[in-house]
Amino acid sequence: MKAKLGFSGAAIGLVMALLPVFPALAHHAFGLQYDPSKSTTLKGIVTKIEWTNPHAHFYVDVKDENGNVTNWNMELASPNALRRLGWTREILKVGDEVAVFGAPAKDGTKMANARTVTLADGRKMVAGLAEKDSEQ
Amino acid sequence: MRKDLARLIAMAFSAAALLIVSSTLAFGQDGQEKHEPPGVNPAGGGVPMVSLQHLRATSFGPAPRTANGKPDLSGIWSPANHLGDLSTGLKPGEKILIQPWALKLSEERQTAAGRRSDTKANCLPDGVPRQDPFPWKIVQTPNLIVFLLEGNVHSYRQIFTDGSDHPKEDLEPAWYGDSRGHWEGDTLVVDTIGFNDKTWLDGLGRPHTEKLHVIERFKRPDSGHLDFEVTIDDPGAYAAPFTVDAHSTLLVNTELMEYWCIENGAQDVSHIVGE
Repeated sequence: MKAKLGFSGAAIGLVMALLPVFPALAHHAFGLQYDPSKSTTLKGIVTKIEWTNPHAHFYVDVKDENGNVTNWNMELASPNALRRLGWTREILKVGDEVAVFGAPAKDGTKMANARTVTLADGRKMVAGLAEKDSEQ
Repeated sequence: MRKDLARLIAMAFSAAALLIVSSTLAFGQDGQEKHEPPGVNPAGGGVPMVSLQHLRATSFGPAPRTANGKPDLSGIWSPANHLGDLSTGLKPGEKILIQPWALKLSEERQTAAGRRSDTKANCLPDGVPRQDPFPWKIVQTPNLIVFLLEGNVHSYRQIFTDGSDHPKEDLEPAWYGDSRGHWEGDTLVVDTIGFNDKTWLDGLGRPHTEKLHVIERFKRPDSGHLDFEVTIDDPGAYAAPFTVDAHSTLLVNTELMEYWCIENGAQDVSHIVGE
């Protein structure tokens, strides 16, 4: 346990060290962070929306078969690209029930690159492709 | 059993997603995509590129002209093809004769570690001729033509067409260099020097030096297309100049939007850790 905490401390230290150097490196790295081959559908309730550059995010409480709730961080494309795909910042609301088909993070954290989102009203929105990093 | 079912559902959703994307891509075809075959994503770019497919002009007239009779290049244009990997757009017989040091650097930049140094990834300008998967806008006036770039850096290039030359001395090395344009018939010729050596020429990290000299030749053959040739002349990194053909399509029913790569930089920490 102690060792684990120590590792967390080191990880936070590393993050702090990297922060000023690579302020926005990874929005180009969908392919590095997520595994499209493991794409799956997660259903749940929207808890928060962050309509920001470089990529928008929203969070979903997903209940598993045992009733345990996990909050997932769903990453979308940038707001300008989403607007052109028919999204608006009001399209998702806290409390909406949605189904997200997405590529989960390779490292097992509760993050996914949302690829399609089925909204509360049944509309299915294209949200991402989770393709390999290129000129994103 | 449950796993199989989950896989089946995932496959069904994959197919549905593909259908949605395919139908989006189908917009703007009708044989008009002579430059960019549907589904091909020359600059990469994923969602941003898909988000533009249905905005491509599908009916074309003659190229508009300005009051002084020159073709008017003004409009909102799609990211050009062939600029993600310059070798894909080489004119017949052309070769990229890259110097050994530059080849080595390009290969290093293609590694996961090397990509960290990409100016694009660090929210810095692309330079010339590299582009992003976002629209760009040409605003043409008689003495000045401006390229407005939606992203990756919400920025601009200025091309002076007032007959002036590059400054003779004390040219500060710059991300987009110093651009001067003139007309040769219906072709806008843009001559750019004065670059710094920080940018990548393309997504494969082909480098350049401060000796870089770029000549772009823009034509608007009809209202909906912008064809251009880009000649890269950099004796510091390439044994000979080479020329790439690139093409953009007019985008309609949209405007430039804001895109700020640097906003919310903190959210990217998770990506870095994920990497």
